[in-house]
Amino acid sequence: MKNRFVINPVLCTGCRTCELACSFAHSVDGKMGRSRIYPLDGGMTDLWVPVACLQCEEAACIKSCLVNALRRNPETGAVELNEEICVKCMACVAACPFGCALHDQQHDLIIKCDLCGGDPVCAKFCPTKALEYKPFEPAKKKIAG
Amino acid sequence: MVNITINGKIVQAEEGEMLLSVIRRLKIDVPALCHHEAVEPLGACRLCMVEITKEDWNGWSKFVTSCLYPVEPDLIVLTHSDQVNEIRRTIMDLYLARHPNSPEIQKLAEEYGVLKTSYEVQVDGDNCILCGICTRICDAMGFHAISLVGRGHGKTVAPPLDEPPPDCTGCLSCALNCPTNFIEFSDQGNKRTIWKKDFEMLACVKCGATTITREFAEFLSRNRDIPFEYFETCDACHRKETSLSMGRIAAWTKEAQS
Ligand code: FES
Repeated sequence: MKNRFVINPVLCTGCRTCELACSFAHSVDGKMGRSRIYPLDGGMTDLWVPVACLQCEEAACIKSCLVNALRRNPETGAVELNEEICVKCMACVAACPFGCALHDQQHDLIIKCDLCGGDPVCAKFCPTKALEYKPFEPAKKKIAG
Repeated sequence: MVNITINGKIVQAEEGEMLLSVIRRLKIDVPALCHHEAVEPLGACRLCMVEITKEDWNGWSKFVTSCLYPVEPDLIVLTHSDQVNEIRRTIMDLYLARHPNSPEIQKLAEEYGVLKTSYEVQVDGDNCILCGICTRICDAMGFHAISLVGRGHGKTVAPPLDEPPPDCTGCLSCALNCPTNFIEFSDQGNKRTIWKKDFEMLACVKCGATTITREFAEFLSRNRDIPFEYFETCDACHRKETSLSMGRIAAWTKEAQS
């Protein structure tokens, strides 16, 4: 079974370790990059939600890219951005309805989560397992009923 | 996959891919001003010149623009041989005469030890090196708003008739990818001006932040089948919304489980 990136906000404590891990993992020339994952409290005081790219099936970012810099990696299912092709028109940043395509101002790059090529660093460092990269199990019936 | 030798190192490359891509992958610093991965190579700046040879060429070698030379098996490539550097210096020398005021050209020339041009300096020279990255990107994106106009000495890049181009959507891709930052634009508050055309920036309905122009958003939503509402909220507010709705679902799950 394919691994999926699973976010469980109930377990998130808002420690922002994922953010730090992401920044380090995406350093450019030794300088930390902007994090692709955003732990936000979403206006609810007792709940933190790590907001990261959902790798939509019908992705608005891919549709918006006029130079085909965004493509899906068939192995991981992640939408990956080719920085060499990107012309920085900001179309994907504006189009993503979840706000997960970003502009890294420091390095002047458009960035988005690429699941670290199939081994997400944030999930590895998450101390409470709010972020996991594991084979996907459908939700249990109990909750729905 | 075939084996080629670059600067004495054996590397693997895809047959038919351009040499420059392989060189870039190896993080070898070869200057290239007219190259952009988003568009087809053109070979206009001539700076990416390298020396190539093969075992069975009996010591002969030739000079090719690496951005336009497809990989062949058993190629031996030298990116910084004395002769290659000499060719690059000559080109820099010419560039310095034509574009004396461009900081990007000055810096590149300095790296190759060309501090002053040996030709007559063109005093009124602008900074456009006629690489065509702007027009090629504009065409690739489907706007066709600008093109190279005129010929010889007066050749430059401009919109048709030098009037505000009707097809331009103000995406700024031409200006942001210009190797010498020649294309002028201004971003002031909610107004963007480029090629003498004024654009309204699309402000976020929640916080007022701006990302792209209204015209560009309309173009994308019309031609790329993206709902226009997506563009009306900025990325930061979108993230807040996402966290709120995911948080609500999580709260229900928590309740249901307890
Ligand atoms: S990059 Fe090859 S000629 Fe300009």
